[in-house]
Amino acid sequence: MSNTPLLRRGATLAAALMSASLVLTACGSDGDDTGDKAATAHSDKPAETRSVTAENGTVKVPAAPRRVVTIGNTGLPFIDLGGKPVGVTEASDSDLDVLPKEQRTAYEAAEIIGSSGGEVDLEKLAALKPDLILVQFSSKDWDKVGKRLEAIAPTVSWGLDTEWKAFADAIAEVGNVADALSRQKTAFKEKVAKIQATYGKIIDTTSFVDVSRGNWNDPGTFYIADIGCSEIARDDIGLDLPKAAEGKDPLAYASLPFEQIRGLSKYDVITYPVDADGVPTKPFKPVVETNTWKALPAVKSGRALGLFCPGNNSYGPVNRYLDSLDSALATLSGKQ
Amino acid sequence: MPRPRRRLLGLLVVLVVLAVLLMLSVMIGSTAIAPSVVWDALFHSSADTDQFAIRDFRLPRTVVGLVVGAALGLSGALIQALTRNPLADPGVLGVHAGASFAVTVAVGLLGVRDVQGYMWFAFAGALIVTLLVLAFGSTRQGSSPVVMVLAGVCVGAVLGGFREALQLTDPDAFDAMRNWNAGSIAGRPLEVVWPVLPFFAVALVLAFVVSGPLNALALGDELAVAQGVRLVRTRVLAVIALTLLAGGATAIAGPIGFVGLMVPHVARWIVGPDQRWIFAYSALLAPSLLLVSDILGRVVTRPGEIPVGIVTAFVGAPVLVALVRRKKSSGL
Amino acid sequence: MNTHIPPVDFGRRMLVLRRRRIAVRLQWRSVVVCAVLAVVIAGAAVLALMTGSYALGPGQVLAALTGRETGIVHDIVVEWRLPRVAAALMFGAALGVSGAVFQSLLRNPLADPGIVGFSQGSYTGALIVILVVNGSYAQLVGGALLGGMVTAVAVYVLAYRRGVQGFRLIIVGIGVSAMLGSLNTWLILKADLDQAMSAAAWGVGSLNGVSWNQVAIGGACIAGLLLLAGVLGRPMRQLELGDDAAASQGVRVSPARLGLILVGVALTATVTAASGPIAFISLVAPQIGRRLTRTAGITLAPAAFVGALLCLVSDYLAQHIAPTPLPVGIITVILGGGYLGYLLFTEARRRL
Repeated sequence: MSNTPLLRRGATLAAALMSASLVLTACGSDGDDTGDKAATAHSDKPAETRSVTAENGTVKVPAAPRRVVTIGNTGLPFIDLGGKPVGVTEASDSDLDVLPKEQRTAYEAAEIIGSSGGEVDLEKLAALKPDLILVQFSSKDWDKVGKRLEAIAPTVSWGLDTEWKAFADAIAEVGNVADALSRQKTAFKEKVAKIQATYGKIIDTTSFVDVSRGNWNDPGTFYIADIGCSEIARDDIGLDLPKAAEGKDPLAYASLPFEQIRGLSKYDVITYPVDADGVPTKPFKPVVETNTWKALPAVKSGRALGLFCPGNNSYGPVNRYLDSLDSALATLSGKQ
Repeated sequence: MPRPRRRLLGLLVVLVVLAVLLMLSVMIGSTAIAPSVVWDALFHSSADTDQFAIRDFRLPRTVVGLVVGAALGLSGALIQALTRNPLADPGVLGVHAGASFAVTVAVGLLGVRDVQGYMWFAFAGALIVTLLVLAFGSTRQGSSPVVMVLAGVCVGAVLGGFREALQLTDPDAFDAMRNWNAGSIAGRPLEVVWPVLPFFAVALVLAFVVSGPLNALALGDELAVAQGVRLVRTRVLAVIALTLLAGGATAIAGPIGFVGLMVPHVARWIVGPDQRWIFAYSALLAPSLLLVSDILGRVVTRPGEIPVGIVTAFVGAPVLVALVRRKKSSGL
Repeated sequence: MNTHIPPVDFGRRMLVLRRRRIAVRLQWRSVVVCAVLAVVIAGAAVLALMTGSYALGPGQVLAALTGRETGIVHDIVVEWRLPRVAAALMFGAALGVSGAVFQSLLRNPLADPGIVGFSQGSYTGALIVILVVNGSYAQLVGGALLGGMVTAVAVYVLAYRRGVQGFRLIIVGIGVSAMLGSLNTWLILKADLDQAMSAAAWGVGSLNGVSWNQVAIGGACIAGLLLLAGVLGRPMRQLELGDDAAASQGVRVSPARLGLILVGVALTATVTAASGPIAFISLVAPQIGRRLTRTAGITLAPAAFVGALLCLVSDYLAQHIAPTPLPVGIITVILGGGYLGYLLFTEARRRL
């Protein structure tokens, strides 16, 4: 790292080190925050820097980064917070399809520098002259190209298992988009509180199960979702949803054959994935079409609810999920 | 025991085993359903939920296993007889590569996402690519099996490269192709099977027609010609038959690799070099292997399931290794 | 061992180099082909050094190479492009030779180190590290090597029964590879999408991020192994005639075969450790080499040159052909397969 001039450590700053590797700190470089940002923006040396701690150690990043490149899963969460990256790695069509229009524009305005984390065009990345690189991909990819990224610009890296709220906090902090984050967080808290207040009785007395089917699922199989959006419904809202035993793989990792749709009859309410228009998602359609599904008590009595989950890696999509959950629960309360 | 009688008796045993497995495949699943309900589901149908599970899931799956297995076994026997190469399986002629490529294009560029949609792409891909390989590997004098196999590997590799490129740059396609690549007989409605059956029937007739000439071919091209075998016609018919079989099976179930490779070996060790017997045994042994594997896949990771294409190798490979160690074996 | 070879009229023009007691018998055509390949390789290497998505003039590249540039320009040329070119050449040559050894040994044009299950085994090892353990790159390399070696040994042991017979080795190898292949498919199927794609990219082999460290260590191993292959490869021609024929010419068949298998596997292992299993070079390079030199059997040197060129050109295309860079293994497959297909096609036409 000694031959990477951009990473020279400021000796004066003693960043408060966090015990957990995910936790990230930022300390303004003493005092003159309000100073001459515009004046220094074009000079070679960013006048204002701060130290942040992430999985790749303590990194000095510009206080107001102007040319951000996102690699791996950092792209859409950064854009969700209003960030405008100059370079991104390709996002999947299914993610892009549910993106709000202005976010999609921001994504499309950025240069594509690679398809997946490990296969980044480093020279193209260097040519973009970024002043900050945000990375989330597998540790083996980091071992391969991490040093080179750090040679190009200050690089902040998170592992794939970073919890989404901590991840949003971290990205907002490093990417200097904390205002948007606090707005989103407020909205999130309000929505959660509203759902809990309005449907308190249903939440307390009803047993739920969230089922889903992904593109990767073998034909004839589905899974009980206990990660992703339903984790939010369970842990933040408090819905009574099944959960894997401590230390075990999530239930979602087991592909259940359609035969086991029968077993869903023991739950009061079933939730399943739908797209923005409320139609069952393409992968899930085969489940809805089985006779066994149609014969389920919950389905017959209208207690099978479609939920729209546009993503669960940042507050924006999660808030849209909560809206969908809100209106789904509203149809239930009419039946009580 | 004289060979013909032993072969007939063996065939009977194989048939009985297959029948038992067909029954077990309907009886055993990832949830427990009483045998009486199974019986009622098959013969006194009503709108009972348990009966749905039998009629909608287990029965089609068993039928698919039977049809796909037989097709894979027979196509494997055909290609090994044709190429005289123990490394040959239908995948060698580019069947899987063609099907896989076509399905990836369908998934990645056209957004197709269901089994019925995949089917015709897979079938067309398999047929076109095999014909391409055939054209590649032939000269006006006929086709050399070695060149044909090499051509198959090349075409398969090139298409495989394009497929990988598509998949690795499109997470959605990669995601959807993960399961198709495993190969499975679950979740296919019987409507997927019916359209392929006429092709299988044609292939069966062709296989019967070429079985005699292929016997002569085993002795070498010159001797076969001396016995009046028409080389080009035999090879072309055999390739058409095996392509229809393997292509159809792949269209229904995805690429199930090991069955077509291993079963003909086992059949050969049981019945000797006569292709007609090898064909018959292969067509009956292969569905047995497939059904055993599928039943195992349903129960070993309960309540989850493992796709049959993954289990077949684990069931078949130890048998193959044991046989090759036990028998004094040679090429073909 | 030289003394056991009866004088043979090769029916071709031969180039015989003598120095004291060592004599090398070379075919003119092979020499010419290898020389031409070397020139093409050199040209491709210069091109790969000069061009990239970060625009640099030839002057800047030269300056960087002679140590007159610092900062990012130096990094790009000396730390990124140069080791990548070196790695492509060495790894390609290693894979070509390794394939040549196996195809000659097993007398089967479809044979490569994959036959003894090495490729599938190393992929299994890597997948377990990536998907189950979520390990670092060093662990990945360890897992891949361990997986490959254990599989190769298992296949050899399972195929051993009073000596190892080629056919039995192939069948056992297919069986074991099929099992591991299934396991690999399942691991990918069960994994999180990000992890699965990262693992799959490793599985086709990529030279992205190759460092001088890997080049130095890998290069030393490969140089030693290539030398060993040259020495051990001398009885290959006799072994191709069959075990009995080789034995009658004084070749100790079993030790010779085991030695060659070990060298072949070790070459592939070295490449796999550094870059993942770059597909298909070991399969097509010997075949292309044989067709270019028009030799009867598989020879090592042309396979090495073809392998190096194939790998280098493929890596160049992999970086530039698509909107986003691809793993090199994808291009080696397309390019190698396509070219071998073309050769087969013209060969078939010639025989009319």
